[in-house]
Amino acid sequence: VSRRSVLAARIRALFLRNRLERELDDEIRFHLEMQADDNIRAGMDPRQANQAAARSFGGVATMKETYRERQAFHPIDTVAQDVRYGWRMMRKSPGFSTIAVLSLAIGIGANTAVFSAADAQLLRPLPVPRPGDVLTVGSTSPLERFGNLRASYPDYVDVRDRSTSFEGLVAFTNAVVGFASDPDSVPKLKIGTLVSANFFPVMGVEPEVGRAFRPEEDHVPGRDTVLMLGHDFWEQQFGGDRSIVGRTVRLNGIAFTVVGVAPAGFTGLDQFTRYDFYAPLMMWPRLMTDPGIRPLDTRDFRNLDVRGRLKPGVTLSQTQTELSVIATDLERAYPNTNRNRRLAVRTELQNRIAQNPPTAALLAMLTLLAGAVLFVACANVAGLLTSRAPVRAREIAVRLAIGAGRRRVIRQLITESTLIAVIGGVLGLGVGYAGVTLFRQTQLPADLPITVSYELDRRAMVVSLLVALASAVLFGLAPAIRSTRADLTAVMKATDPASYGWRRRWGRAWLVGGQVAVSVVLLAVATFTYRGFQQRLRSGPGYRTDHLLMMSFNPSLVRDTLPQAQQFFEQVAERARRVPGVTSVTLVSAVPMGVDYGFSPVTIVPEGFQFPAGTESAAPLGAMADEHYFDTLGLSMLKGRGFLVTDSADAPKVAVVNQQLAQHYWPAQDPIGKRFRVNDSRGPWVEIVGLAKTSKYTFIMEPPQDFVYLPFRQRPQPRMILLAESAGDPSALVPPLREVVRGIDANQPISNVRTMEDLYRMRTVLILNVVSGLIAALGIMGLGLAIVGLYGLVAYAASRRTKEIGIRMAIGAGRRDVLRMVLRQGLVLALGGLGVGLLASAGVARALDTVFPGGPGGDGRTDVVAFPLVAATVLAATLLAAYFPARRASRVNPTEALRYE
Amino acid sequence: MDNRRAEKTDVLQGTLILLVLRTLEALGPLHGYGIARRIEQISQDLLHLNQGTLYPALLRMEQEQWITGKWGASEKHRKAKFYSLTAAGRKQLAKETGDWQRISSTIERFLGPIPEGLREELP
Repeated sequence: VSRRSVLAARIRALFLRNRLERELDDEIRFHLEMQADDNIRAGMDPRQANQAAARSFGGVATMKETYRERQAFHPIDTVAQDVRYGWRMMRKSPGFSTIAVLSLAIGIGANTAVFSAADAQLLRPLPVPRPGDVLTVGSTSPLERFGNLRASYPDYVDVRDRSTSFEGLVAFTNAVVGFASDPDSVPKLKIGTLVSANFFPVMGVEPEVGRAFRPEEDHVPGRDTVLMLGHDFWEQQFGGDRSIVGRTVRLNGIAFTVVGVAPAGFTGLDQFTRYDFYAPLMMWPRLMTDPGIRPLDTRDFRNLDVRGRLKPGVTLSQTQTELSVIATDLERAYPNTNRNRRLAVRTELQNRIAQNPPTAALLAMLTLLAGAVLFVACANVAGLLTSRAPVRAREIAVRLAIGAGRRRVIRQLITESTLIAVIGGVLGLGVGYAGVTLFRQTQLPADLPITVSYELDRRAMVVSLLVALASAVLFGLAPAIRSTRADLTAVMKATDPASYGWRRRWGRAWLVGGQVAVSVVLLAVATFTYRGFQQRLRSGPGYRTDHLLMMSFNPSLVRDTLPQAQQFFEQVAERARRVPGVTSVTLVSAVPMGVDYGFSPVTIVPEGFQFPAGTESAAPLGAMADEHYFDTLGLSMLKGRGFLVTDSADAPKVAVVNQQLAQHYWPAQDPIGKRFRVNDSRGPWVEIVGLAKTSKYTFIMEPPQDFVYLPFRQRPQPRMILLAESAGDPSALVPPLREVVRGIDANQPISNVRTMEDLYRMRTVLILNVVSGLIAALGIMGLGLAIVGLYGLVAYAASRRTKEIGIRMAIGAGRRDVLRMVLRQGLVLALGGLGVGLLASAGVARALDTVFPGGPGGDGRTDVVAFPLVAATVLAATLLAAYFPARRASRVNPTEALRYE
Repeated sequence: MDNRRAEKTDVLQGTLILLVLRTLEALGPLHGYGIARRIEQISQDLLHLNQGTLYPALLRMEQEQWITGKWGASEKHRKAKFYSLTAAGRKQLAKETGDWQRISSTIERFLGPIPEGLREELP
């Protein structure tokens, strides 16, 4: 009780500071006057009386200090005082402050930038209350370690009904539809998510307008044509009209009634997609573009995302145990579909990493590099503080001598460090913003609202502040503790306050050597990456990107059947071919590097191939193409033939595979004439008729992967892409080709109208440039900071030796000797750091292979040219950094130097 | 140096608090100067009080709610802060008085003549 009342009194005192201060003064004055009066009464003269009163009272200042320390809540009160004092100290030495603050701004800003990238790609929590409790549940097999964790609807229902670990399990799946606000308008491509009815309540999301889905809308397939709009879409398309509820809109031609609008800030449970609408999962069969699939009844159609909200107090491992039991039961009950299937649970972060391991690895690397830059920056500030220590040693000694506690002085020094760090952190936000601007260049070329949103938001600011505070401790604590440990008398007596403590200089030399070494590694990584990426861009994706225009069609959005769609595609291709300026036209199901029209997997079972236990098939990526695809994209056929017009629906089924796939399943054999089954082990046989060169399919950095091509007439698709080759500028083909489509069917939505050049630039060149640019910037920052550190140390050491240099010159040393002497001191450090850095870089080159499979250049070789490049750059830079202070030292006037001090 | 001084004040402070509590109990509400005078008078100047140290002690006792301070007019119509004992202060006084008596009687026993039996056990 007593502790608490004291604390309360102190906190109260904080707000009454001025009044309490006045009262104390009054009290002291009263005391002194009373004493003086008594003294006079005892026979002293007034002057004596006052002096005697003061004497018997004791030191007023010391007493007031003690009083104040006890009066108010101590830390906050003195922190304000420390900050004010720290600010004065900073303004007193602007050179020091500027370099320290800028160093930290760079170091902290680099981390802010990398954090904003990591946040956009991996870390940002789901936009729901208590996002940490939301887990991903899905079906997996022992061989699947990465990729999406999904489940089929029947499996979802079983897990939902049996599991007791969750407050609720929700299911959802993407739906791309042709959306029309009224029956007459041309439908536009929109993306929504079909959700189980418990989706909004379990996620704790309240609709902004209207209602969410009702439990009974979760029962009958295809019955409840109700719809909720995404907030962004509602504002863009309907101007935020609150009377929207009850309005009828059309999805793929089916009339839906709007019942509600999702709240602002909620964009769905996919981190990259901002969904336009939400519809009941029961509408899945009717909105599915492939009518052959019964998504709600097929236990091995695993295309559903499942998220569960964990009950309070239930752990991840308890959940996993429970799910394993359920999986075993399901396996027993449905051996045909669930053999070797396990149920796995992942946290959101685990799930995001598993979906994109290369990005996670890249971000981990960037975080390490930014951390290294921060280290170099902190080392700079620590060095500066150390060289300032002698200057301040006397001030600190005086403060200690007149009674400041050691902890109080340390706290003062740490406050100063924190002040520097926080100012650096605020400026660092500028550097972070530059990073965010850089990242924003890499937007995804997609018509649908799929974006990676790089933000310099509150989270990034909090991270900057934390990094700043951590760095303040990193660079400020050791010098602060050391400078209060000095022997007071020695410091006060010394003519030269810095003459003690040569060890301090050695500590700083190590620090600078380390800075050089780290900056060498940073530069080496930058060089490996830059040169490697250039090499990748030079060798290209393996197909041509010039003079090509793409546009995609999805006739199923206007309720065309597959045969109708097929006919439409053929018609478009044929008429497009006759457009002047078009030299070639091809139809394909997807294009390389596509975003929302990328390749999808085709399940194959190669003949005679022994799969490892637990798997019966493989699922390489594949494309359905016509007979012009290989020529139009410049994909050379290594063996056999491409597709022909005669590879029609009723002709024998054929395929073209790439070299990688052929080597995988038929090593050292001629793949032509080999067969595989498609879909599953009972699927139809397909014969390989051609062998294509392996190219890049999803990203330029991907390792070579298996790929299969099937004739689009033998495997009809609901949506196709038209690729037209032009003689001149491909974008000039847009108006005539749009005209062609309108001439066939005015209602057909056209999307993704883009040149292949643009697509390649946005999906490859820009990304590689941004990544290598970022890494190069980190390398240059590291080197710049290290040079400042080296310069500072050499200049400092030389200035400390002014007297010695004067003596040397007085007894006959020439300017060159002095120059050489000081330069040598700097160079020893630089060379030491360089040597260590180069050795470390050799190791780092290895590690880079885990981030970029096949190395940054893709050929698996270490870039040996990078080493001399980096060495020469660092050597030249460090020579310069040491030369200027050395030259200044050599110009010392011996007489002046000796008179000095 | 810093530490040694701190220890000294602490010892003094514990006693000082007891003296202040006792003074206020005996004389009722009193201002700081009055308390200081009273302590000096009673101790007949044997206990030399550095008067300034009284005020941090008063602050602490106020914070602990053993005493309360109120501004009022002094005998010469000057504004002064008068301190008076609270119920908690009375309790504290009783406790500290007990403590003090226990300690002083223990020390007295130590400082008195050494008992016969004990002397023989010593080597």
